[in-house]
Amino acid sequence: MRQKKLVYYGKKCLIFLISVFILSVAVFYVARLAPGDPLISYYGDRTEKMSPEEREWAMEKLGLNEPISVQYVKWVKNAFHGEFGISFKYKQNVLEVIGGRIGNTLVLGGIGFIIMFAGALLLGILCAWYENRLADRILCKLGTISSCIPEFWMALVLILIFSVNLKILPSSGAYSTGNAGNFGDRVLHLIMPLTIIVMEHLWYYAYMIRNKILEEVRADYVLLAKAKGLNKKKLMFRHCVRNVMPAYLSIMAIAVPHILGGTYVVESVFSYPGIGALSYESARYHDYNLLMLLCMISGILVIFCNIVSQTINEQIDPRMKDEVITEKSEVVEG
Amino acid sequence: MTNHLFELAGNRKTETVIPKSKKKWYQGKPVVSAAILILIVLGCLCAELIMTKDPAYMDLLNYNKAPDREFLFGTDTMGRDIFSMIWYGGRISILIGGLATVISTFIAVVVGAFSGVAPAWLDELIMRFTEIFLSIPTLLLIILLQAIMGEANILSLSFVIGVTSWTSIAKVVRTEVRQIRNSEYIIAARCMGAGFFRILWKHLVPNFFSSIMFMVVMNVRTAMISEATLSFMGIGLPIEVITWGSMLSLSDKALMTGSWWIILIPGLFLIATVLCLTNIGNACREQTNRKESNF
Amino acid sequence: MSKEILLDVRHLTQQFHLTKKIKVKAVDDVSFQIHKGEIFGLVGESGSGKSTVARCLMNIYQPAQGEIWYKDVNICDKKEFKKHKKMLQTCRQMIFQDSASSLNQKMKVSDIITEPMRIQHITPPRGSFVKEAAFQMEYVGLENSFLDRYPSELSGGQRQRVAIARSLCMEPEFLVADEPIASLDVSIQAQIVNLFRYLQEEHGFTFLFIAHDLAMVEYLCDRVGVMYHGKLVELAPSEELYSNPVHPYTKTLLSAIPVPDPIRERKRVLQYYDGEGMENSVWTEVSPGHFAMLPAEGKGCSIS
Repeated sequence: MRQKKLVYYGKKCLIFLISVFILSVAVFYVARLAPGDPLISYYGDRTEKMSPEEREWAMEKLGLNEPISVQYVKWVKNAFHGEFGISFKYKQNVLEVIGGRIGNTLVLGGIGFIIMFAGALLLGILCAWYENRLADRILCKLGTISSCIPEFWMALVLILIFSVNLKILPSSGAYSTGNAGNFGDRVLHLIMPLTIIVMEHLWYYAYMIRNKILEEVRADYVLLAKAKGLNKKKLMFRHCVRNVMPAYLSIMAIAVPHILGGTYVVESVFSYPGIGALSYESARYHDYNLLMLLCMISGILVIFCNIVSQTINEQIDPRMKDEVITEKSEVVEG
Repeated sequence: MTNHLFELAGNRKTETVIPKSKKKWYQGKPVVSAAILILIVLGCLCAELIMTKDPAYMDLLNYNKAPDREFLFGTDTMGRDIFSMIWYGGRISILIGGLATVISTFIAVVVGAFSGVAPAWLDELIMRFTEIFLSIPTLLLIILLQAIMGEANILSLSFVIGVTSWTSIAKVVRTEVRQIRNSEYIIAARCMGAGFFRILWKHLVPNFFSSIMFMVVMNVRTAMISEATLSFMGIGLPIEVITWGSMLSLSDKALMTGSWWIILIPGLFLIATVLCLTNIGNACREQTNRKESNF
Repeated sequence: MSKEILLDVRHLTQQFHLTKKIKVKAVDDVSFQIHKGEIFGLVGESGSGKSTVARCLMNIYQPAQGEIWYKDVNICDKKEFKKHKKMLQTCRQMIFQDSASSLNQKMKVSDIITEPMRIQHITPPRGSFVKEAAFQMEYVGLENSFLDRYPSELSGGQRQRVAIARSLCMEPEFLVADEPIASLDVSIQAQIVNLFRYLQEEHGFTFLFIAHDLAMVEYLCDRVGVMYHGKLVELAPSEELYSNPVHPYTKTLLSAIPVPDPIRERKRVLQYYDGEGMENSVWTEVSPGHFAMLPAEGKGCSIS
């Protein structure tokens, strides 16, 4: 039995590694094959005035004149030593570039995830408890409406109301100039982005959990327990909610990439200095090394979460190998 | 001997009772949503009749004007009449939504059905690839695809959105096909000598269509939101091509001057359309929780 | 009845893989012949491999070993099958056990009945597809009003008639019915069996009838084969088999038929058979046309 488990998890790890490998190859090739001049991001406007010899020299310096496969092998070799190259635009080690910004994204996404993690379950239970009553209907309708509002538009409206008209919240950045260490200032800057991220996803996941609980409530064992004389509260929390837990965790694992994707849009609207805006920049200006590392980070996270949720599903029900978790397809993911 | 024996098996007239439906036809159907949607779509199709101004004309004297008698919804920062732009641009927004959905549904049905009937190892391989495909950040994929396709236009943008949004439908199609493919009517059709595409079209598609219907409608919604987001971020259609998304890309300037109409009006139209689509999609989905609650 | 052989099954063996290592022999070295124009019955308990034989005959499964000759075509050979594909697909038709799942729920009855013609691109002999469907429906005893209905709106017996009509519209020479009456209730079973009899006399097709209801088989079939655990244990004309069973498993099966007479029913002794002596049995001809798998003591004349 133990060995079987070991093989099972070994297989999962293998799938994970292979997926990551293929992902890295794909991103590497696609990025380099896409038309565009990577020198622009390094030399800026000077690129246009460069002579062919200078260009040649610059390409060699950045290691771009070799065949892509050679470049890829080099990149992998260096990556194993923890060297991911320099960013063309910032002319710094990419680790430093990302290191300076990832904290902001982690704070934004992390707090958003925690609020959602707790909120979705609570709201889901609440809705299931008051099924088809007013509270439930309002929450469900809210969920439908909020899922129809584009994130960036909600952000614009919030800025319009709170920054432009009421002037109580700052509209951009992670902190006001000169106030980098001020905790209160940072919190103030976090309020709006966080609201958007939570509002955009909370209802949807609460709705999913509500449906899961309702499925559970309709199972026959609940009828039995009720006949036995268990009261509604105990029934709900001891049986239904507990049985929904694995499904809940798997839904939450899928939610991670969505929240990550959400932070990207939100960051770009609020000019919040996180890695979302950074990856957008790097893809547009062919900052290969930076792009590669950012893609790997988000890709690994997404693949990992997918595998976790799949594993949970298979544990709940071995037949579920084909199971589809209806995913919310989002514009901008991970 | 056969004749009287066969009588046992003969035709018997059966009474057909058509139950009178208690419900009115509109009950349980999203009539309001459908009406609003039809109204918006009609308005966009007949944009030329409704428009009061040329949507592309930049009236430099009247830029950034609040809504008034002349400019019903005001003008944007470039002096264009928003009322005319809404109807004119909605056309392209809806077109992109539809086109992207057609593309993604087509890819999804073909890949999903193929994966569903393929042997286990090939199926596993295809599913792994879709997962890896999913894990490439969509934003990046879109930017790179755009770079390959060159200058963004309606077709290329629909293509890009379609290509990046087929995976969830494909997964559902695959699961459905795997369930259906061993049914006896498929075996029967194969015995009769039907080919793959006939079985796909005549037997598989009608049977899984209802379960992807909801997702297809939702895909229109997602595609429209995608278009708006991309145009807003400056990687979609250029500002000269009027869509609800590209109208919103002026909102940076609008924020500074506090011109709420530039932000609110196109957004509200977008949300109204999308919300109606969602309601219709929800109605398409069969009610799963018909069973009475045990509570 | 002519003695011309339509179908010749030789040493048919089919295996299924449960996992990579464990195999199940669903059909094990089965040989029999079906003459032209007869109704051949195949009986046995569930899981004895009857359906697998039928599916091998229809090329749904590719047998692991053995040959199946239809007229003079070896249908197990992929090349020969491809060469005669059209002929085979029109001449052989199959009726499935569960009419609910063998008819596509999303197709109208008229489309279901004419589907084989559409697939084979045959112009309907009675003008249009709808007329053809109506004719076939009339033929199997269904009203024309069913034409535009969906299978879910019909009863089990009516659906099975639709399935029969579908197989008949190609005017087949050889019809395989895989437990066509098992999912029906008793009165409908009688109707369908009578219908088969009537149709067979009208059309004169050759008919392989698979069932586990021995009484029905006795009533309908000319010759009967008994299968047990993937092996054919006895093969005889039906009167012969029912009056003079040789193999212990056949005896067991026959002893299990309930008798509609309380006095005799009470005296009925159930026999049991646990497959003893199956390993070293030989296919023996007991009397002309009556074969059985018997322990190898006498000189068995093995047929191939």
